[in-house]
Order: sequence, then structure tokens, then C-alpha cells
Amino acid sequence: MTSAHWPWVEVAARLLERDEREAVLGDLLETDEGAWQGLLEVLGLVVRRQLSYWKNWQPWLAVFGLALPGSLILMGVSVSVSSMYERLINHGILMGSSHAIHEGFLQLLCRGLLLIGCSWACGFVMGSLSRRTLWVSIASSCFACMFCLVRFGEPSLSRLCLFLFLLPAIWGVRQALRLTRVTLALAIFLAIAITTLMILPPNSGGFWTLNWSLVWPAWYIVATAQGAGRAVGRN
Amino acid sequence: MLGEFEYLLITAAAGLGGKAYSVAIRKEIEVTTGRRCSIGALYTTIDRLETKGLLKTWMSDATPQRGGRAKRMVRVTPKGVQAAKDFYDAVTRVSRGASWVVNRTGRA
Repeated sequence: MTSAHWPWVEVAARLLERDEREAVLGDLLETDEGAWQGLLEVLGLVVRRQLSYWKNWQPWLAVFGLALPGSLILMGVSVSVSSMYERLINHGILMGSSHAIHEGFLQLLCRGLLLIGCSWACGFVMGSLSRRTLWVSIASSCFACMFCLVRFGEPSLSRLCLFLFLLPAIWGVRQALRLTRVTLALAIFLAIAITTLMILPPNSGGFWTLNWSLVWPAWYIVATAQGAGRAVGRN
Repeated sequence: MLGEFEYLLITAAAGLGGKAYSVAIRKEIEVTTGRRCSIGALYTTIDRLETKGLLKTWMSDATPQRGGRAKRMVRVTPKGVQAAKDFYDAVTRVSRGASWVVNRTGRA
């Protein structure tokens, strides 16, 4: 193995898990394979590994049950929160009564908390369902984001409004990857809070029904947190 | 029942005994069969057999000839020995009367 090409093999081997990477790189050094042959061997193993993960249902659910639809719906909720804020600031304060303003802020607060809770739960479940195929889930989510970004046509709002959900979602994914223990009590509190906030007005017409699909990740966390605080996210 | 490559891997590992690890098994299979054995096929099969309880693997200490990297050692479990024996018996039974077997033993 020529030292000039060795870094490429090491970069490719980073896609493998630590012990396997160690063993494979050791094998290549011991057998003194050519650089390209070594690279092909590593990539061949990486492809086989990635394909094997898709024999389980979890990665499929993460992509087609969460990353794609979840991103689209959460962008809708993000825009809804931004519109509500914009209406409250531009119109409510100038023309509304103090009662209407208080009510408006309360609704905005509820909607904002709902957005944060749902985004975190979606991110957490996505991270725990598909740790090894997370890059596909992230790519699917980015695809949905790009699709909406291109088609976004609300002149009064910045395009960044679409992505209000991203920070809590990323936080959720990071928590899942760090194997944070979610206690049953916390999971139940989160699920009940999200469900309650979803029931509360205001609703966004037809989208309101669609938004209910954001509730299941929170209850999934409850289901997997059962068993005396077992760590969620070990799939 | 085992697959052909699974049988080859278990048999090679059993033959190597305490010295069975990825490179040695790979060489053994290549020398015996005359076919190239990729690292991808080897490692994924080892994992599959370990999941079935037919093999046990562990990481050895790092060695200098491998750039200070550890080996993945392999040991065939009693269940693995039984599975290989079942496969061999099945192949032997199904091969009885086959022309190549008869020709090889000179009883044609």
C-alpha cells in the first residue's frame, strides 16, 4: 500500500464502525493490497453494510414516515407561526384591543411551543430510528427543504421562516445520537403537551388535520421509553 | 441450512483453530477454491454467522505488522460445527450417484 494513496482508504474506512475499521485497515496493511484494490475492498464493504441496514423497517420509517413528510409539515407550521407573528406585530398591536393582543400572544406562544416540541420529537425519533442511515434521512429532509424553498411564494415573509423547525429538530437528533436517556415521565409529559397544544385553537384549516401526523413521534418516544427509563435510541 | 460460502468460511475457520482471523480465513478460502474472496463478502458473512450463533468473534491486541491495528479473531461455536456437519452430510447424500462422484472414485 503506497503511503500517497493510503489516506483515501482511511477516509473511505471512516464509513465503517470503529472496530471493523480497525480490522479492515489492518487486513489491508498485512496483505499489502494495492491502493485502488484496497479502496475498492473498503467501499465494497461499506456498500454491503449500508444495504444491510435497509433490511430493517426503521430506516424506511425514518425517511418516508418522518424525514420527508415531517419536514414538509413542519415547514408549514413554521410558516404558520411566522405569519401569526407578523400579523400580531404589524396589525394586532396597532389596531387590536389589549385583550386581543394578549390572546394573540398566547396563541403565538402555544403555536411556537408546538413547533418546538414536534420538531424536537421528530428529530429525536429520526435519530434513534436510523442512526446508521441518518445521512439518508438528512438528505431526504434537505430535499424537502429545497423543494419548498424553491416554491416559496409568500412575499411578506422571509424564506428563512420555512426553517424555524430546524434548530429544535437538529437538537433532537443530537440528543438521540448521544443516547440521552428519556425517562418515561418526561416522555409522557412531552406527548401530552404536544397533543394538548395540537387540540388548542387556532387551527390552520385543512392543514390542522395534517398536523396531527406530527403527534406520533412523541408517543413513539413514550412507547420506547417504557421499561424503567430504558435508553431510547439504541437501534 | 448454511450457504456455500458460509460453509467454506466455517470450515476454514475450524481448520485454522486458534489462528483463525480474517486474513488467514480469506487466504485459506482463496487457496482452496481458487476464487477471490472480497473483504466485504467475508466480513458480512462473519457477521451473519455470528448473529446466528455459529461463530464468535473478538478483537485481538494490536500487532506491528498490521500498523498497530487489531485483528478480528474468529472461533467456530459448537452450533457452527453442527451446522457445517449437517451441510456436509446433505451435500454428501445428494451427491451419491452423481457422475462426477462415480468417476472420481473410479466405480463408473
